[in-house]
Amino acid sequence: MSESRTRLRNLLLTLGAGAIVAVILALVDGSGGAKLNDTLALFAIWGIAAVSLNLVNGTAGILSLGHHGFMLIGGYVTALLILPGDARERIASSARSEMTPFTLGLSVENWFDALGLTALTGPDGLWARFLVALFIGGFVAMLFGLIVGIPSLRLKGDYLAIVTFGFGEIIRLTASTSLFSPFTNGALGYSGVPNDFGKSLWWTFALLGLTLFVMTKFKFSSYGRALQAIREDEIAAEAMGVGLARHKVMAFAISAFFAGIAGGLWVSYLSAARLDFFLFFLTFFFLVAISVGGTGSYTGVLLGVAVVVFVQQYGDPLEKTYSLSVWFGLLGLLILAAGIGGGLYRRQRRMRPVWHPLVVILAVIGGVTLLVAIVGQNWAPLQGTFQAFGMRRILLALLLIVIMALRPEGIMGRAEFSWAWLLRERKDQPSDEERAQDAWLSNPELNREGGATAGDDERDADVPRVGRDRGDTRASAPDDPLPRALLDEDSPGAHPLLERGHKARKGDDPRYGTAHDPSGGAESTDRSDDDSDERKDGEA
Amino acid sequence: MSTMTSRRPLVRRLPWAWIFGLGIPLLIFIRIFYLVSVTEQRDLAFFVGAAVQSLQLGSLYALIALGYTMVYGIIRLINFAHGEVFMVGAFTSYFLFSGAPFALPWALLWAAVLGWGVMFVLNLWRGRMNDPVVLGGGLLAFASFAAVLSATSISWWAALVMSMLSTGVLGVVIDRIAYRPLRGAPRISLLITAIAVSFFLQNTGLIVFTRNQTPFRPETQWTQFLQFDVMGGTVYTSRLMFLIPVLTAILVIGLTLFVTRTRLGKAMRASAQDAEVAQMMGVNVNRVIATTFLLGSMLAAAGGVLWGLNFGSLNQPAVLGILPGIKAFAAAVIGGIGSLPGAVIGGVLLGFLENFMTALFPRTPTFPGITEYKDTFAFALLIIVLLIRPSGIVGEDLSEKV
Repeated sequence: MSESRTRLRNLLLTLGAGAIVAVILALVDGSGGAKLNDTLALFAIWGIAAVSLNLVNGTAGILSLGHHGFMLIGGYVTALLILPGDARERIASSARSEMTPFTLGLSVENWFDALGLTALTGPDGLWARFLVALFIGGFVAMLFGLIVGIPSLRLKGDYLAIVTFGFGEIIRLTASTSLFSPFTNGALGYSGVPNDFGKSLWWTFALLGLTLFVMTKFKFSSYGRALQAIREDEIAAEAMGVGLARHKVMAFAISAFFAGIAGGLWVSYLSAARLDFFLFFLTFFFLVAISVGGTGSYTGVLLGVAVVVFVQQYGDPLEKTYSLSVWFGLLGLLILAAGIGGGLYRRQRRMRPVWHPLVVILAVIGGVTLLVAIVGQNWAPLQGTFQAFGMRRILLALLLIVIMALRPEGIMGRAEFSWAWLLRERKDQPSDEERAQDAWLSNPELNREGGATAGDDERDADVPRVGRDRGDTRASAPDDPLPRALLDEDSPGAHPLLERGHKARKGDDPRYGTAHDPSGGAESTDRSDDDSDERKDGEA
Repeated sequence: MSTMTSRRPLVRRLPWAWIFGLGIPLLIFIRIFYLVSVTEQRDLAFFVGAAVQSLQLGSLYALIALGYTMVYGIIRLINFAHGEVFMVGAFTSYFLFSGAPFALPWALLWAAVLGWGVMFVLNLWRGRMNDPVVLGGGLLAFASFAAVLSATSISWWAALVMSMLSTGVLGVVIDRIAYRPLRGAPRISLLITAIAVSFFLQNTGLIVFTRNQTPFRPETQWTQFLQFDVMGGTVYTSRLMFLIPVLTAILVIGLTLFVTRTRLGKAMRASAQDAEVAQMMGVNVNRVIATTFLLGSMLAAAGGVLWGLNFGSLNQPAVLGILPGIKAFAAAVIGGIGSLPGAVIGGVLLGFLENFMTALFPRTPTFPGITEYKDTFAFALLIIVLLIRPSGIVGEDLSEKV
């Protein structure tokens, strides 16, 4: 299939999938199930935030922990700009209000009034005002992203993570001080923010779609590739001419912009803005989503967000009140599982006494506890009830610990969802052209004259040396049927494929060979061309 | 970084160490003089009291910072969960010395788990289970924890020792379960795991301990008030002004002796220099790391108990862990992360700075004071130190090399 047709097909498939999502949203919207509606809206809002965090954490490889700070800025700006008049009056008449008349007058409605856009000032124009406020919130967050990013991006790795965490916390801590409380109304925050948008599936999913569109376009643009180069190796990227600071700051600013938009929607979703809505747990949830789904993969991140939102919304049976004996038994079960798990781990790692005394003791403690809980349900010390608030967060933390230990790259790794993958188009298989080249290279007849160890060992010569040195697993089998036909031609030097490779690449761009050399599996086609070039030079 | 290297000569020309080392104390003295003699808002006794308080707070930060700096020195991990370990230590001692005695099944269960933990730790050192130390230690720990948990009340120092023991075990278990599978992994993965552990301990603390501010008042003479006169004013303090610094000094000296005089301490220093080479020389690096976590967590637990004594109450678990933890990390960075004396210096310095900031700029009718920026100050200091001088006061340059 030619490339343009593939592209058209992908576009049609994407549009079709979008239409299906829209139909599902319309069904959910019409059915009036509040919980499902809220869950989907939350998925979209947190999806925007997590995808934007992934631009920094996954694509650029900078661990940023200050995302909740940017969300706070976007959320507060949006809330302040669209706060309806009655909520403003309530704040103004309250004795504990910390706002000034000036900050209370900051409203998109007033600006539209001043501009004469009276059509958009009433309740009918709320959507336009929200949109404007949302984008202003995003831009203010982006501004803060620049302020935070420019100094801190000089650092690397874990120090950078701590600095971004510090900035995130500073934003939250200073928001309630006397310096900023005229804008944030101190610890009280705002209430009565219209929730027509944060709870609307159309708004949230449209913005999620916009975010995904921008992010994927960015990722596969030259800027995105530069960021990926920075992630893989900063020094190599710098040597290739990638401006480290510029790219990092740009990624940080874009990420902060979308975090601000997510914050605006989050405030609208909760129909209030308070400082304790923007604690570190938000960033932690996004971190879980990114790590679980796949660092650097936007589809993986959405998968991770789905997991997090599901646990958050449907995990409330975990936090119900249960009797004390149930908890005792659960604790015993946990210890028993830890003991048995330890034994299994030791067996898998082939440690010598599989049932080490420590493991056995742990299992026995757990077993006895479980037994006591079952037998002594009516025993006086085990009477009473207990409610475990926060079990969902514990579950998410455990999930992150387990994922980091067992599969640090997440479910999807760095792979993105693509239609070709869904339709089983194996891109990783060599094309016919590549097969022919590989076969030509692995032809024992040719290797015998060129190599120094000519005719030493037939089987050794079968494997192309270049491919083996580079760890190229794609080296073709010697009994591939296709290359035989090609090898029937008289002179290998006159092979049309090799002529093409030689002329088109080396002559035009002398940097070509070095620029693509250290790259990963993505440019496998180009690399095989390179290899054949080198090989031919050696032969000639 | 090329920008850093090109800028470095310019920085070297100015004697920053002297400017900061002499200039800031000078500014502070001028400000104190101004407040005492010109505006007469404060008397000198107030500042003496502030200094005493600062020393107490600084000792606490130092105790926590030692755990950060030891772990960072050996596995280059910012142990985000260390603040939460501190929180667990504080609350464990609270539940040991106060409250209703545990019901028999709960006391036995916790004692069994802790006894197992002690056996686990001892087994790491002794290398085999069939050993009188391991078995005896485990049984002793089980018996004593069972007795302590079912007793109505025990003295606070027994609670301190028990809490140090159980928190140390917790540190080793965290290392074994969460960090050891990631030994060869990138440092960022390790940091994410540490954040997850911290989040886990915070929320588990909220469930297991309490969700509220908890009064921390063991029956002891050490919290009695004390007052003495200085230059016409009266300094109000408590006997803790002796207890906290002295206990901290004893623990720090013990740790220093351990690190410098014992085989395991030598192995620790070797692993801090180069873990791979140390392993080649026959050092069991995993054992060394476990020891590091044990010691760091024990010191944090001691810090937690003293923290409770100092403030008379414990904040709720989600807050108690993170704020002192991040401040102590700032202290470790200020002193030079990876260095033991650096952590102590940084801790005491941070204690002084934090207390004097609020003392030097008192609230006036026109000026709201800077008390509300107290927590911001620690974060800002952390950021500034990381940006300007990541190696701290005494640390060597630990920035990543090519």
